[in-house]
Amino acid sequence: MDRDFFTARLVETRAMGSGYALLRLQGCGPLSGARAGQFVMLRGDWGRDPILPRAYSILSCGGDEARFLVQQVGRGSGLLARATPGAPLTVLGPLGNGFPEPGPGQSDLLVAGGCGLPPLHLAASQAAEAGRASRVELLLGARTADQLLPSLLDELREPEIAIQLATEDGSAGQRGLVTDLLERRLGETDTAREAGGLPGSAGRARETSTTRRILACGPPAMLRAVREVARRHDTRCFLSLEAEMACGLGACLGCAVQARRGSQYLHVCADGPVFDGEDVWP
Amino acid sequence: MSVLSMEISAMGLTFTNPVLCASGTFGYGREFSGLCDLSRLGGLVTKGVSLEPRAGNPPPRVCETASGMLNSIGLENVGLRAFVADKLPFLRDCGTRVLVNFFGETADDYVRCAEGLSGHRGVDGLEANISCPNVEAGGIEFGVEPQMAGALVQRVCGATDLPVVVKLTPNVTDIVPIARACVQAGAAGLSLINTLKGMAVDARAGRPRLGRRFGGLSGPAIKPVALRLVWQVAQAGLGVPILGIGGICSGEDVAELMLAGATLVQVGTANFLRPDAGQQVAEELERFCQRYHPALRSVGELTGGLA
Repeated sequence: MDRDFFTARLVETRAMGSGYALLRLQGCGPLSGARAGQFVMLRGDWGRDPILPRAYSILSCGGDEARFLVQQVGRGSGLLARATPGAPLTVLGPLGNGFPEPGPGQSDLLVAGGCGLPPLHLAASQAAEAGRASRVELLLGARTADQLLPSLLDELREPEIAIQLATEDGSAGQRGLVTDLLERRLGETDTAREAGGLPGSAGRARETSTTRRILACGPPAMLRAVREVARRHDTRCFLSLEAEMACGLGACLGCAVQARRGSQYLHVCADGPVFDGEDVWP
Repeated sequence: MSVLSMEISAMGLTFTNPVLCASGTFGYGREFSGLCDLSRLGGLVTKGVSLEPRAGNPPPRVCETASGMLNSIGLENVGLRAFVADKLPFLRDCGTRVLVNFFGETADDYVRCAEGLSGHRGVDGLEANISCPNVEAGGIEFGVEPQMAGALVQRVCGATDLPVVVKLTPNVTDIVPIARACVQAGAAGLSLINTLKGMAVDARAGRPRLGRRFGGLSGPAIKPVALRLVWQVAQAGLGVPILGIGGICSGEDVAELMLAGATLVQVGTANFLRPDAGQQVAEELERFCQRYHPALRSVGELTGGLA
């Protein structure tokens, strides 16, 4: 899949509450074959300040359209979130590796924290398209119910992706962290195997640590916690990381992340953004 | 309208136009293949190469500032051996002039690196980054003191037959004596300016935005500083070409630096804005000259033409 640099047109900006905006772009043909977990560098036609494009995971792509979830945190994301339909946006992508393809018979636990939903949303959609909907489950956590992006979750309910929610304030789903959901979910597997299966997931009883994977995206503290849970349950996890980034191409070397072993650094744009949990962070 | 030549001859080399891509913003060239037509550039300057590979600084390494950015990459690079084995083959046939940026921690490092980069097809010249701490002199940067800079450049020039361009730091009281010392020591050209030392604070989190606190400021924010320093060095009449660097985003920006005294220029941070920035800037420069300076026969006539 070759990356390209092109100008797309914003056709819809939808405010999602809690500082989120959903951007729908046309003219994104070069992204149509992108893998879940790949990203783009996005920038509006706003002169020289802010100067750097911003990195966004691809939420959806296909045909001529692509969508991105923008959380307003600073000047660049604010300008993108407030951009009006018709605005030209430059796109560099698809970039990065994306999540590895699942092996035959493998099932995926998709773990998302807050604005980490997009790559997992795309992973779930693509799994559904491939007839694997029953083989993926989405666990999503946020601080409060209104940060759970319900309209995006609704898109996954139609293909019958199993979804579990957690909020820190208990306003929706289970009170607690998404990693609590993950811990419980993985803990259930052994029990399920003995009991002959749990409702809602017939395959769960047959699941073992080698036939399931965890794909996760969210804040660094959450991803570290995901890795801990994955280790306890002997399950391979793939983490989609974020970093301050200038080029997206492996040229500026700005997006360094410490490698697991040694004193070396990996780069989120060129080596990731998806890393095997055992390859990053000491 | 006369036919405008975009070609520039400098340092014994011919450049198809005056616009190069700057070190640290264009990787080793290959990262931009398919996104930027390298044959439309005047040239490119590689990521800085050192004798041994370097891991670089702890993150965060980049952050956005007003009309610019700070970086503290920490000179991460693959090292001389891997550069020659893995990076140079692409550069050999990339269709544009290649200057290899290099640096060291001691004068011996610089000399050995310059020797190691010489005698390879595909390397047209060297750019010595002298904004590095001299570990043998208590960590003071080579490039902040005329005598130290001159002594280093003399040794480097003695170690290679390639033209050596010296990249100067703006973080000095007076750049002219340093520029003069480098030219007297054999520099074939002077690149200026390197980044301005700066810092950014995340007041909400109460911590610096960069892992190493300080970083180098680049982008449009520094163009006025670059213009002033290029002008000052050009006025000193040192007899070598100046490669103007600092916040170039358009053809008109190039013309400004050339009018101030630059013979060639380098596009840096703008490569992050769009990967074909160098190519676009070169094309804009041609259109700019045709529109606003239609009497020009050669773009080189802009150099030092400030009224």
